[in-house]
Formats: sequence, C-alpha cells, structure tokens
Amino acid sequence: MSTKTIGQEFIKGLWDENPVFRQLLGLCPTLAVTGAVINGLAMGLATTFVLIFSSLVVSSIKKLIPSQVRIASYIIIIATFVTVADRFLAAFFPPISKNLGPYVPLIVVNCIILGRQEAFSSKNTVWRSLIDALGMSAGFVLAMLVLSAIREILGAGTFLGYQVMGAWFEPWIIMILPPGAFITLGILLALALHIEHRTKSRK
Amino acid sequence: MKLSVRMVVVLTSIGLLSGSFLATVGHLTKERIALNKQREIEEAIIQVIPGTVSTQKLYEERDLSVYGGKDEQGTVIGFAIHASGIGFQDRITLMLGTNTSLERTNRLAILDQKETPGLGAKITDAESFLQYWENRDCSGAISLRKPAARSAEELLPSEINTITGATISSEAVLGIVNSSLEHTRRLLKEGKLSSEAQDVN
Repeated sequence: MSTKTIGQEFIKGLWDENPVFRQLLGLCPTLAVTGAVINGLAMGLATTFVLIFSSLVVSSIKKLIPSQVRIASYIIIIATFVTVADRFLAAFFPPISKNLGPYVPLIVVNCIILGRQEAFSSKNTVWRSLIDALGMSAGFVLAMLVLSAIREILGAGTFLGYQVMGAWFEPWIIMILPPGAFITLGILLALALHIEHRTKSRK
Repeated sequence: MKLSVRMVVVLTSIGLLSGSFLATVGHLTKERIALNKQREIEEAIIQVIPGTVSTQKLYEERDLSVYGGKDEQGTVIGFAIHASGIGFQDRITLMLGTNTSLERTNRLAILDQKETPGLGAKITDAESFLQYWENRDCSGAISLRKPAARSAEELLPSEINTITGATISSEAVLGIVNSSLEHTRRLLKEGKLSSEAQDVN
C-alpha cells in the first residue's frame, strides 16, 4: 500500500515518476506520433482514457484475480479499452484516426499501462488507483505536448496547424522525421536529469 | 474453489464480459465508420469532377474503383478513378477525375500517403504538384518533365512537372495514374462503365 497523500500521489506522475522523462516508459508512441501537436495530444488523451479505465477495473477486481493469471487478465482489460478508444476515434474523429494509424491499437503494449496495473492498481484502493492513473496520464500528456510542440514548431513552423513562425523561417524537416524525435527526446531527457541533479544537490 | 478452476472461471468471465462489451461498441460505431469512409470518397469525387451533384460506383476491383460523377439531370459528366499503388514509403491512394472519353484530366486528389514530410509529401500540395494535373491530355500516357520546368506554360499538354527532390514520389503517382488510366480505358471499351448496367445498387 502506498503511504503518500492523495496530492503527492497525483503530482508524482507529473515529475518525480513522469512515465516518459523519468521512467522512460511508452517511448514507441512518444517517438512515433509526436510530429504534430494534434496527433500527440490525441495519442495522450487516448492513452489517458485507457489507463484510467484499466486502473479502475483492475483495482476493483484485484482480489478476484488469481496471481497466476493476473497479466493475462490485465491484458484483456487493457485491450478492451484500447479497442473502444480505437473505434471511437474512427467513428468520430476519422482524420485523427487516420493520422495515428496503427499506434492506437498499439496502446495495448504501452508499458505505462501494464506497468501501472502491476505496480500500483493491483495493490492499492480504487480511489488511489484513479488518482495515480490521472497523475501518470497527465505526465504522459505533458510529455507528448512538449515533444510534439517542439517538433511541430521547428519542423513545420506551425502549432496545432496555425502558422507561428514568420515567412523567414525555413522548416527543419528533420524534426518531423524519426531522427528529430530521437534528438528532441534526448535533449529533453538530459534537461530533466540536469534539473533533477540541481534540485537534489541543493537539498 | 480449487485454484485451477478459479483461474479458468476468472479468465473466462473476463473474456466474456469484455467480448460482449466490445460487440456492443462495435455495433454502435460500425455504421458511422462506414459512413465516414463513404463520405470521404464522395467528397473526393466532387473535388475531382467539378459540378458533380451525385455519384455512382461503376466498377470495382482490388486497387481500382471507377465512379461516375453526375450532374442534376443524372448524366455522367466525368469519371473518378480511385486507385492505389506503392509509393516511396507506403501505399499512395489517389482519385483522378477525367472527362467521359478519358482523354482529359479534370483534377487529381491524393487521399492517403505516407511519403517523407517536406519532400515526397508535397504530392498533396496544390502549388508544387497537383495544379499540374488539371486539364492534361491523357489520351496517351502522361509523362514527367525532369528536371522540373519553371512555369506551367513550358510543359507539353501531356506533361506533369516533377517535384524537385521527390522524383520517386512523383514517379509513383504518375505510375499509378497511367496504369489505372490504361485499365479504365480498357474497361470503357469493353462497355463495363455504363451507368445503366449497374443501376441495381
């Protein structure tokens, strides 16, 4: 059982245990769909939906599941919500669904989700699991937004499709391509570590 | 309860519950998803055959469908060829509008592509690529002008300007267009594109 206060439980997902910047989980969608802010945001929200509902279900039926089949059970539960998210996007937001392509179904294997079930929801109350899922999702959405904003602004000169750079700006095409994702993520990780060291040494 | 029995019971019930939940979701969204696809195709037909008020599917096979665009009187005013083929990275799906004799193009629209952003992806750009496809002579094979001509006036009636730096993507589009045009011409000759024959649907 976690001994943190509810507030700490939420905040830890944003920074201390940020799934992307600190735990390096779920990097596949992080690298693949952050070429444009709208795609990053949609991916973040779809993952949020799956994480919250999977955590709610797993934490409420945790006592019924024998530990030998827990992973299989979690995967079925996660896959169910992923399919719901996929169908929902295809029905109501077809352009986004087209842009994200196979990456929505691939949320099933996003380690953040299975990781939180195994590490948290299966050991904590429904309420705490919900807060944990909200915090982790917020951290993931934040990471997706930062990464996709940097890549879209430098790579296309736009933010959410609106021109933000002047006519003088020559887009850095590499930022939209896969190498741009690795470069940006690397710099952001270094920055996160640097901030971490600074704050620690001050304490 | 014995552990093995409990494992079976738990997994089966989770599977059944999730299956029935998904069946409901699938049922609720199925119609809308089909409608979205149909609407996307209809919008593309209207875009490539200006003046279309209704559309009709005239022919369908793998990687090639031909639609007729009709005016208010119900006369077919042009064909819209929906075709796909391999591009530089992945499949390119396009819609080409032609006149009813398949001798002139109206417009070209790219419906789906995953070419390199900033280079090959320019095949969706009106200014650098799509504008050259308007009103071209397609009674024979269309060809590419390489290196690219500076202005549209320099091009022959059956020529398309290449995108500088994206020759492969330009050629891929050209290949899809030429082969589907040839195929469609054959269908037209065989009388498979008449709007009466297919009025059943």
